[in-house]
Amino acid sequence: MPDLLFEIGTEELPSWYVTQGRDSLAAALGSALKEARLAHGEIAAFATPRRLAVLVSSLAQHSERRSEKRRGPAEGAAFNSEGKPTRAVLGFAEANGVAASELVVEETDKGRYLFALKEVGGEPASELLPAMLRSIVESLPAPRKMRWGEVETGFVRPVSWLVALLGNELIDVEVAGVKSGRCTRGHRFLSPGQLEITEPLGYRQALRDAFVLVDVDERRQATWEAVRAVAASEGLEPLEDEKLLDEVTSLVEAPFAVLGSFDDGYLELPDEVLSTVMVHHQRYFPVRVSGGELSSRFVSVSNNKVPDIAVIRRGYERVLAGRLYDARFFWDADRVKSLSQHAWGLSGIQFHGSLGSMAEKVERVGETAHLLVAPLKLDEAEQAVLSQALPIFRADLGSGMVFEFPELEGVMARAYAVAEGMGASVGGALEDGVRPKGPDDRLPANRVGALLSVADRCDKLLGFFAAGKRGSGSADPFGLRRDASGLVRVLNSQGWGETPRVFLEAAARAYESVKVTVDESVIDDVERFVWDRVASLLAEEGIGVHTVRAATHGGPAVIMAARRAHLLHGMSRAEEFSSFTTLYKRAANLADRAPDDLQVEPKLFQVGEEAPLHRALPLVRKGIAELIELGRESLAPWDLGHGPNTSLPPLEAPLAKVLQIKEPLDAFLDNVFVMVEDEAVRRNRLALLREVRDALRALGSLEELEGI
Amino acid sequence: MRFQDLILSLDRFWANHGCVIATPHDTEVGAGTFYPTTFLRSLGPRPWRVAGVAPSRRPADGRYGDNPYRFQYFFQYQVVLKPSPADVQEVYLQSLYQLGIDPSRHDIRFVEDNWESPTLGAWGLGWEVWMDGMEITQFTYFQQVGGVDCRPVPVELTYGLERIAMYLQGVSHGFEVEAAPGVTMGDLRKQFELQHSAYNFEHSDPDLQRKLFDAFETEAQRLLELELVYPAYEFVMKASHAFNLLDARGVLSQTERQNYVQRLRRLSEASARHYLASLEAESEAA
Repeated sequence: MPDLLFEIGTEELPSWYVTQGRDSLAAALGSALKEARLAHGEIAAFATPRRLAVLVSSLAQHSERRSEKRRGPAEGAAFNSEGKPTRAVLGFAEANGVAASELVVEETDKGRYLFALKEVGGEPASELLPAMLRSIVESLPAPRKMRWGEVETGFVRPVSWLVALLGNELIDVEVAGVKSGRCTRGHRFLSPGQLEITEPLGYRQALRDAFVLVDVDERRQATWEAVRAVAASEGLEPLEDEKLLDEVTSLVEAPFAVLGSFDDGYLELPDEVLSTVMVHHQRYFPVRVSGGELSSRFVSVSNNKVPDIAVIRRGYERVLAGRLYDARFFWDADRVKSLSQHAWGLSGIQFHGSLGSMAEKVERVGETAHLLVAPLKLDEAEQAVLSQALPIFRADLGSGMVFEFPELEGVMARAYAVAEGMGASVGGALEDGVRPKGPDDRLPANRVGALLSVADRCDKLLGFFAAGKRGSGSADPFGLRRDASGLVRVLNSQGWGETPRVFLEAAARAYESVKVTVDESVIDDVERFVWDRVASLLAEEGIGVHTVRAATHGGPAVIMAARRAHLLHGMSRAEEFSSFTTLYKRAANLADRAPDDLQVEPKLFQVGEEAPLHRALPLVRKGIAELIELGRESLAPWDLGHGPNTSLPPLEAPLAKVLQIKEPLDAFLDNVFVMVEDEAVRRNRLALLREVRDALRALGSLEELEGI
Repeated sequence: MRFQDLILSLDRFWANHGCVIATPHDTEVGAGTFYPTTFLRSLGPRPWRVAGVAPSRRPADGRYGDNPYRFQYFFQYQVVLKPSPADVQEVYLQSLYQLGIDPSRHDIRFVEDNWESPTLGAWGLGWEVWMDGMEITQFTYFQQVGGVDCRPVPVELTYGLERIAMYLQGVSHGFEVEAAPGVTMGDLRKQFELQHSAYNFEHSDPDLQRKLFDAFETEAQRLLELELVYPAYEFVMKASHAFNLLDARGVLSQTERQNYVQRLRRLSEASARHYLASLEAESEAA
């Protein structure tokens, strides 16, 4: 069976799309082949900045042959009084391409019907492929497509050529004004012109010979090795940066690493400034002395193997020197003023529309933080750090460096604070107070920093919600979802026992101090929004939606909800668990009718099933308490969404304790009529069920669990 | 290659590729994209090819001549090809040969960079072209201009002439670039840059600029109603420059700034609509 090669040649794709496009193409072709019932072997997919390609091994030459049975008219309506087929039958037969005499009668649930047996499939792959491949190009998913020339088909960047070969047979595909051929292109500069592919399996090698590494993993590996090798030539090592490596891999068709240098004098700049300039602006790899500090070297990965490497090295160095010159200009100019002087600049920076300036915002954050000092039990040293940090929190927003390099916010506050002679913990709090900046950013390490981060986020969420700026659907124009995720990640990683509501209410009070009233309903909305983030982060840890709902019910502290979710998730694997939750639900249903304040009175027990259930309660409570304690001990606070760092021990023993209630509860629910006439007895029985429910509810609202 | 030779070479090159070589428009603009020959001609079905040097004014980018790369008055070389040709990247690379840059001896890359101009109601997708790590050209396929989808799609190439010249001449400041034999860019423009930086940041009269903006806006609207699209659009460009001066002076709050941007956008979009209507009227008359 022949192999299939399909390559979409394009103008340079955005680097973030290269691997995404490769995967989409493989997935789209895989499902199209499945739908067309074309059997095939492995699908391999490739991508460079100028192409997406798939290689399907051993593609069936024909789609699978099979017979399809289609139901026609009921037998009763099939023949007229003379025993001839009715018009309905003739029409049905014709529509299916069979003679009326070939129809068969079969018994079904609904009576006897006529059926047509039709042989389908067997279409040649070479006939199915043109339309299939065209529609894949036309509908390949991408976040943002463009049009070009007079072409109406959208693609991520203009399509320049197509290669479609089934074995050595050319498949004619025409899309976006381009006709498929046998020729691809090699490296733009090292192997210009057309490159004929004679057979699909030779694709990778043909391009390798033309200076293109089409396999992303191979190219990534080669890139990293090249970068390491040139750094090692001076006994140095490149900084490991997976994201940068991915990006660089997607910016070149073949990697050629070049070691360059900059003036040693720039090493006085903080390492983060140097790496930001090198990584974000130039896509260079910073290079350090083995295991130590940054050196005045960098590695740039060229997409071209040039005759004289000195020419491009000089170019790289000159651009970097210009940028470092700017950075040092800001570093020097910013330090002429103190951070408290920079903080004055915050009154000139808008926070958002009606919500005032950044200066006012920072003041509210300070107020919120003060309100939380007591509940979070900050010690004296921490309080001292807080009061030093607050007046200059986010002051670096007013600095030239952060204006030029916004991603350095926080980092510069720390650097400038330390340069002013402030302690490392104040610097750490200032830096951590703006973390996490994104889903992959690290969390505050410092409790004061964590408090600032939480207070800042609560302030923003409340303010934007109160101003009616909430975003909708999947759009997150104000970054509120990102901020709420950051908020719950910080809360969980700190293991703080206060509920999100406590933090939000503190932030709402801070708004009062500037005479803005945040309605209770706004707090409610933000609280719900925050819990949605908890749910979504827990989902990323593999916890099902029902378990999350059960665990988060009632809005406990985030760490509590997260631990309960993992406990319930662990317990749900036990076999008895589902029958147990069913029982719980029955008890909880009735318990809802119980008067809240009533104590169970054993003297009122009338039948044999009441006392055993009552006696089981303390044991159950103990089992539950043990489970929760187990969760507390074995699940140290973690970065929510990334999974706990440790796992739960086996839960069988404490679970068995809890499940001891199953037998008496079963007996009670099956044999005792709760809603008896006698009010005292009835209320007593309801109260007993309520206690059962409340004991179990310490694990969460179990009625939310699936299967109940 | 001297600065003026760069321009002459590019003129020659693009003239040979079917472009009208346009002289710079005599109204202040932030970029050649504002030129009526770009903004208006990007709209509608008619093919169009134009190239030429585009002096650009960005008051906020002035640095009193201190920064080697940033000026409040600088030169772009701008090319618009509509519809965008299939071989536009290749043709662009050939144009570099004309400037004495052999792409095979350099690390030339097309790095994603998408462009958006809120004041023009315009956006496009494309790249910045890097040569050995330095951005030398912006490359944009316009998708929308004046709030209208472009059909066919024009491609715009904008060469950063000062940077290319600095590179070719091996000098480290834009003012050191030799413009003509024995004459540097500094000779031509140093005082101009210094005085305009002082004007933009310290001495422009914000009240006057606000009044001018209002007046230009009103005038543009009045002229659009008279279907005088070209004169109206001149006032849109003037209003845009008044806004840029206010912005550089640092007197606009964020909300106020946003408000000016919206007003400009409405003017640009109205100009685009009236221009397209005038095209239709013209073709009906014919």
